[in-house]
Amino acid sequence: MIGWIKKYSYISVLFLFACTGEQKNKVLPVEAFFANTHQFNYRISPNGEMLCFLRLADGKQNLFVRATTDSVAQQLTFLTDISVRSCAWAGNKTLLCIKEKDSLNRFSAFLIDVDGSNLRELKTKANTKVNVLDTRVHDNTVLITVNEENESLFDVYRLNLSTGEKSIYVKNPGNIFTWYANSAGEVNLALGGDGVNETLYYRERKKTDFKPLATNNYQNTLEPVCFSDDGHCIYALSNLKRDKLALVKLDCRTGEEKQLLYENPEADILEVMTSEKDKKPVALSYEIEKRTVKFLNAQTGDMFRQINEQLPGREIQIIDKDSAEQRFIVRSFTDKNPGAFFVYHVADKKLDRLSAVNPRIDPAKMCEMQAITFESRDGLQLHGYLTLPNGSNNKKLPCVVLPHPGPSLRNVWGYSPEVQFLANRGYAVLQVNFRGSSGYGKAFLNAGSKEWSNKMQHDIYDGVQWLVQKGVVDPDRIGIFGYGFGGYSALCQVIQYPQTYRCAASYSGYINLFSYIKGFPAYVRPYKQMLTEIVGNPEKDIEYLKSASPVFQVDKIKTPLFIAQGGKDSRVNVTETNQFVKELQRKNVPVEYMLFENETQLFKDNEHKLEMYRRLSAFLEKYL
Amino acid sequence: MKPKILSYRRNYKLIAAFVVLITVVLVFALLVSFRLTKEMVQNEFSAAKVDVLEKTMQPFNAFFQNKIPEISFYQGFLDSASAADYAQGVLKNYPFVQRIYFYDAQISNRDLADGLKASNLSMGLKGLYQFGRNIGPDSVVLFTAKKPGSLSLADGDEFNKVGIKLASYLSTVDTAEVLSGEKLFNIFYNISNSRITYMNVPRRDDIKTYKALMLKKLPPSPFFEQDVLSFQLDASKLHIRNSHPELYQNVEIKPLAFDPVLDKPHLISTDIAMPSAFSNYKLYFSSSKAFVNKEVSRRFLPVGLGIFLVYGILLLLVYQIARNLKANQKLFSLQYDFINNFTHEFKTPVAVIKIAGNNILSAKELSDLERIRYGKILDEEADKLNDLMNKLLSFTQIENKSIKIKSEEINLEVFAQNIVDAFQLKYPDYDLQLEVGVVKTFRSDPVLLSSLFYNLIENAYKYSPAGTKYLKISIFKRKKNMVFIFKDKGIGIAKEELKNIFEKFYRIQNRYNQQGSVGLGLAFCKELVTFMNGSISVKSKPGKGSVFEISLPA
Repeated sequence: MIGWIKKYSYISVLFLFACTGEQKNKVLPVEAFFANTHQFNYRISPNGEMLCFLRLADGKQNLFVRATTDSVAQQLTFLTDISVRSCAWAGNKTLLCIKEKDSLNRFSAFLIDVDGSNLRELKTKANTKVNVLDTRVHDNTVLITVNEENESLFDVYRLNLSTGEKSIYVKNPGNIFTWYANSAGEVNLALGGDGVNETLYYRERKKTDFKPLATNNYQNTLEPVCFSDDGHCIYALSNLKRDKLALVKLDCRTGEEKQLLYENPEADILEVMTSEKDKKPVALSYEIEKRTVKFLNAQTGDMFRQINEQLPGREIQIIDKDSAEQRFIVRSFTDKNPGAFFVYHVADKKLDRLSAVNPRIDPAKMCEMQAITFESRDGLQLHGYLTLPNGSNNKKLPCVVLPHPGPSLRNVWGYSPEVQFLANRGYAVLQVNFRGSSGYGKAFLNAGSKEWSNKMQHDIYDGVQWLVQKGVVDPDRIGIFGYGFGGYSALCQVIQYPQTYRCAASYSGYINLFSYIKGFPAYVRPYKQMLTEIVGNPEKDIEYLKSASPVFQVDKIKTPLFIAQGGKDSRVNVTETNQFVKELQRKNVPVEYMLFENETQLFKDNEHKLEMYRRLSAFLEKYL
Repeated sequence: MKPKILSYRRNYKLIAAFVVLITVVLVFALLVSFRLTKEMVQNEFSAAKVDVLEKTMQPFNAFFQNKIPEISFYQGFLDSASAADYAQGVLKNYPFVQRIYFYDAQISNRDLADGLKASNLSMGLKGLYQFGRNIGPDSVVLFTAKKPGSLSLADGDEFNKVGIKLASYLSTVDTAEVLSGEKLFNIFYNISNSRITYMNVPRRDDIKTYKALMLKKLPPSPFFEQDVLSFQLDASKLHIRNSHPELYQNVEIKPLAFDPVLDKPHLISTDIAMPSAFSNYKLYFSSSKAFVNKEVSRRFLPVGLGIFLVYGILLLLVYQIARNLKANQKLFSLQYDFINNFTHEFKTPVAVIKIAGNNILSAKELSDLERIRYGKILDEEADKLNDLMNKLLSFTQIENKSIKIKSEEINLEVFAQNIVDAFQLKYPDYDLQLEVGVVKTFRSDPVLLSSLFYNLIENAYKYSPAGTKYLKISIFKRKKNMVFIFKDKGIGIAKEELKNIFEKFYRIQNRYNQQGSVGLGLAFCKELVTFMNGSISVKSKPGKGSVFEISLPA
């Protein structure tokens, strides 16, 4: 269940920001789009009677609970120095929460009773991270993973709900990076890797050793979704021997693929919804242009139709459900609507509204996002999205290109605060799912390997040219803005196509691929070798990496730049950024540089984020 | 208080004093400005060296601030081949870099044969390479880890220095802090005499890792790549950019200890220590005294000329003032003479009137003859006085332009004949000829015109010796002008006097003008003619006669 939410984490991150709307075509303040979400992370208790959620109180996210049928909420935590990052039910009486990174550089956890009493902090060392593995209660324990022994390896622990003490359950043999627990609370399935190859391990009983089930190089995916009812079979997303991620049933004893449940010829499966009761997948979704949900049983289809009758035209996502699968937490959204959270009661088909993701936004005043398709210069079909500002004649508009981060993430159809923020300011917003984006099969994904500064950039540029030819955008008023890889793309675009862009803005954009490769923290080190294949080998491909790193290409930059950077970004060495900016200034290239010493890649302090978008808005207005 | 003397004052002494004063000021200004210029050049000689140093160090600064930090961009991933590329770029663009040593280093907590160990952290060498302009491919490799123990102490020295710096930094670092520029400079650079050694700056996370490796007992770690490059510099290859060739004849790079005072005493010299890795050297500037003096002269020239120009303008003003004074003085004396003459001219009629009055008073009775005689005398002398006063008055009026020219149709023949007839009556011995051309009439002011006639006819009579009292008057039209010519056979006017005769109160000193003339006549004529927009000129030969020509616009 958590897995398929993770899959959609890009949208979730975007949904964290919220907005308000007032008058038609009025430019809304930055706060309207990027203020912190007030209330989110709804989870329903296993018996379906209680809801927990996080809400801003005293500037920090604190834990609240309420009865499912009663809207009166009770605040359980009163933190003022650090936010609760996530919360989950561990049984019906206890909540397990993870806090944001603290001063010891650790993500610590605590248990708290549903009445707000008996707070139990988990004792963990500095520089560690607690992850929730499974919150189904067995012997008064739940499963968590912690990287206490070795920063790069997570071991499985049983967490005693009464005492808050953890005890080692499964020790990491040294190469496992994902664990899977079954409904009995056993951890017999794990995903491991040695750098390039990814291996699914399985053991029949706790006593026996893990045996490799299937080994794939990083280009292939075999990702468990849920256990089947026969104990030794799992449902998994697999693109072994096929290009697109498909839903299959796998026999864990033999490693054989027993059944193909669904495969789409054009797109990867993005999310799978499962039924723990029936121990099988019930629905899945993929997205070519817009999200398409496919139902694997009639019951689930009926439920979605019921909900859609009450929420016509909305996309529906399942967030959580009780163990009897009688009450679901769902959220709705559209391209113009950040959406709302609801509780759906299966028994009486009743939909109770919990809260809006952003109660201040008026969907009617947001701009429509349309899917576009065009062909790249080498004949590849590319998908993307175009959002045009309201009240324009859709001719010769100023345009902001918004390359997505990742680069192996993708743009999806839905509400995006960044897109709406730009469209609200009168810009046509172009998003391209360039090669290397996920969701369109592994060939498409792998086509981006070692093409960061080449074909991936060509795809973005081809999208811009396609728009220019259609006459929608004014070729003299095109800018580009992106975060992470998007920022890197913005810099690459102005290096390669200085005539096309009037300005470029980079938010934590990578400026040096050598630093980027080095920047992966210790706990994802298994990916290092894979990275060298996707990005480049820092020892053998020095010339390519030099040509692909903006920091080595200062001489080619003439376009006005906006650079926002956190001093503690692990992907970017801020010393280099300072040097980069200094050199540009020496060359009299206009650079607006925002450095927040204590921020990481994605700015955590919302004030910093707002300040950044405010200055970005002024920057774009100046040059477009 | 002395009473003010209201007399004409001569101020030539004052003017002379003024000239002396400004001359003194001139000399003083020249001296002072020359000394200032000299001082300025001397000051600049010692100040402009900073500018030369800055220009000379520009390529070094670019190398130091841009090219060296670029090593960090490779994040330790440089190997012998890519380092060679980098080194070639440096050697090509920066001639003062003589040789580059590349230490391909690794950091771990494992034991090492060659390298540096600090607590648990070891900094080992995978290889040491050198790059230079004349280094053959077989001498590039100085050391490789494949041959442990072969690293010479001298080669390892620079590496050890930065290694120790890193180790001491790691032992105290607060990894939560962002590295400041100052710290970067202190830790990752080692700068000594003509040598710069630089280690790539690890990322924050790497520093954390290194610190943990150093201070904690951890299982054997992987190797972390670090690059150390050491640049051997040659100060003599720095290109000196003498941005002030007018000040410095020679600019050289010399060792800090260089002191040429004894060898070349005729040189003016200064020096400035060089920064950074070149701190053992200085830029030495020298110029011969003659060269500096030439520069002083060059700069002084415009200043000197300026001062002379002001002086010249002052002198010109003084001259103008003196000239005006002289003219005024002359006028003053002329006026004084005029009053003398005038008084004299008044005296005769007044004396005659007085005698006549006395005779009438003292006579017991007057015969008719006597009565008529005295009456006539009184009448004539009164006329003379009246005439004198009229002349004076009209002259003043014309001077002040207080009369207006009338324009009347004049029949020239009748007009001229009337005047001639009047003079014939007055002076029966006067031979007056009149010749009038085709034109008969002329528009002008008859009173002013007759004044002209009277004056010129009277003058011709007055200045002719008895027996040759002759005047020929010719009137004719020439182009648009009416011309009146008065030709006599009088005493004539000397050439040197000609230019003065139309001036007021001027009178040729001769025996004819003892009476009846005050030197106003011709000046009066000139004023009249000018007033009537015409011109008057004269030709004359002494002893033979004069010709006056008046030309008036018709």
